[in-house]
Amino acid sequence: MRFRAGIENVTTLFRIIQSVEKLQKKCIIKFTEDNMHVICNSDANEGGIQVWSQIKIDSIFNSYRIQSNSNNEITVNLSCDALMGALKSASTSAGTSNSTSGSTYETDEVIVKLAKKNDQAVLNFEITGTTRAGRKVKIEHDVKIEVMKPADVAKLNEPMCPEPDIHVLLPSLQKIRTIVERLRSMSDILAVRASHNGCLQLSINTESVKVDTEWKNCTIPQMMREGASQDSADDDPPDPEHLFSVLVSVRSFLKFLSSHVVSTTTIACVCQNHCLILYVYIGDVADAGGVLTFYIPAIIDDE
Amino acid sequence: MSQAEILPVLKASVHDVRYFSALLRGVNFANRATVTVTEKGLLVVVEESRTLLGTAYIFSDVFDEFIYNPETPENKGSQPEQPTDEEELVSAFEIPLNNLLELLNIFGTAGGSVSAKHGRFKAWQKPGDELDDDDSDGGGEGEGDQQEGRANKKKSGQFFGSGSERKTGMRLTYIGPGYPLTVIVAEDATGPTTTCEIATFDAESHLELPFDSEQMVLKIILKSSWLRDALSELDPSCDKLTFIGNPASEPDAGLHPVKQRRIRMQDAPNFRIEATGTFGNTEMDYPNDRDVLESFECETPVKFSYRFSHIARTIRALQTSVKTSLRIDNEGLLSLQFLMPTPVSRMHQGKGTSNFIEFRCLALEEDA
Repeated sequence: MRFRAGIENVTTLFRIIQSVEKLQKKCIIKFTEDNMHVICNSDANEGGIQVWSQIKIDSIFNSYRIQSNSNNEITVNLSCDALMGALKSASTSAGTSNSTSGSTYETDEVIVKLAKKNDQAVLNFEITGTTRAGRKVKIEHDVKIEVMKPADVAKLNEPMCPEPDIHVLLPSLQKIRTIVERLRSMSDILAVRASHNGCLQLSINTESVKVDTEWKNCTIPQMMREGASQDSADDDPPDPEHLFSVLVSVRSFLKFLSSHVVSTTTIACVCQNHCLILYVYIGDVADAGGVLTFYIPAIIDDE
Repeated sequence: MSQAEILPVLKASVHDVRYFSALLRGVNFANRATVTVTEKGLLVVVEESRTLLGTAYIFSDVFDEFIYNPETPENKGSQPEQPTDEEELVSAFEIPLNNLLELLNIFGTAGGSVSAKHGRFKAWQKPGDELDDDDSDGGGEGEGDQQEGRANKKKSGQFFGSGSERKTGMRLTYIGPGYPLTVIVAEDATGPTTTCEIATFDAESHLELPFDSEQMVLKIILKSSWLRDALSELDPSCDKLTFIGNPASEPDAGLHPVKQRRIRMQDAPNFRIEATGTFGNTEMDYPNDRDVLESFECETPVKFSYRFSHIARTIRALQTSVKTSLRIDNEGLLSLQFLMPTPVSRMHQGKGTSNFIEFRCLALEEDA
């Protein structure tokens, strides 16, 4: 089993881990020949929120080499915190790490490789940099990992979801976050609604207060239906006014919103009475370096 | 009749909620607030432990639009002894104040929210402080009218000087008893609109703390910053705060000014704030100097104590205010009135009424 790569885009990787870290302490990273998958699927997650992501190797790594007995794939389980620590010292712009720690060096190269130290599998980060005075510095981080068995990897399955009722392009996540943070103090449940005429609503409804925040003229991307032929041609065009809605936990939604650090474009899909799916694109949609997919299960209201 | 029913009791709107929410924030220490609507504006009353009463007087010119349609008494026929016309028509309801404030700040542009950084307060105080320097001879409440014009000109420049900042606009409707308070909040035409319905409750009778100005034993008017600095200096672990006032001694006019001053220093201080806590006492004296105490009236020595946690409730209002009037009556009832900076509204360009927030607090029973 061999793995070695140079990390070119440290900031992006750092931000991806940062947005996932809010969900759970440990995450699974699966490296394949073309993609890196960051997965959070622990049952212990509050509200059952899951993240499945797919990031193109080219958008983060260079000189990427991977070899293994199971189809050249390596799946590891590691602590987000430790990984963030390593990336922090590798990144000159990720957060304010360098200014706070007082070290002032420019990162020249970051190499990550799979290694074994004292019978413990680690991801070894080797950071070389130059200080202001022109001296070379070398920093090494070992992040303890647990390599997952192919049999266990095979058991990892993305949640099954029905065909979404509607897709909607979300406004800036930062703005949504300000609003949802205010709502959190008033309610635990948030309703997300969207209609085909571009209306998006975030609502809460409690005994003492009822709040609807509405965006108009959101873009509704027309999705290519898989197996369009099966769809009967005389399918009525959807009522543009009809709001498709799903109830989710406010806390889970806020956890998803912490991905605003990495997002450029986000598409939300409402599967009524099932879940809310959020595709967070890293980089342009057209030339996406990858996508983080958040699944937030619906709360079924008995009323 | 049916016509009258359609008319909402209250309709108000404002293009920038910052001033309105700053007034509300001043009394946001208990969640349930009673809102009384009159022709002149809104009265927001909050009480705590039957001891402290906070009232925000929000006059109608804070809003760009303010329409009040008094409720029509439904059973006019059966009750002939309805309130006569001379009595002022009012409508009252209770709302969760905290929710209203959160909603006004839903886009994070209502300024100085509980969670927001402190920078906003400074933006507030700056015009206020300047205003203060302008009118060193100005009195307290009521007589601020001539200063208004000047102040407003300054303010509209400075207050909204940072024009790039986004503002939250609001429209508020209350149809009548049994209906929720509907608030529509929006940032700009392109952004989202938030519609909220806040449940209203029947107003319950409040603690009445009438202040008898006939029995007033101490009256002080001072710049808010002088009191704010004193109170913020105190350790939060204090449990008791005492206000002590002594009559101003009349220095012998024939004496040398330097000597007069020396005598004044040796005398009992005119006004002292004493804080008592588990870790010790703090005493702060104010000299009877026109620069500090704009007005000071005290006939006999006065000493009354209050629970510090109650006085601390006033700090938020104090921070935004310009001038403070502190009065105590012979039973120890404390009345703190905070004069707020003048609003700038579209309705009354350059001429607004000064809004203020008043706190009344009962004194602690002292064992002799």
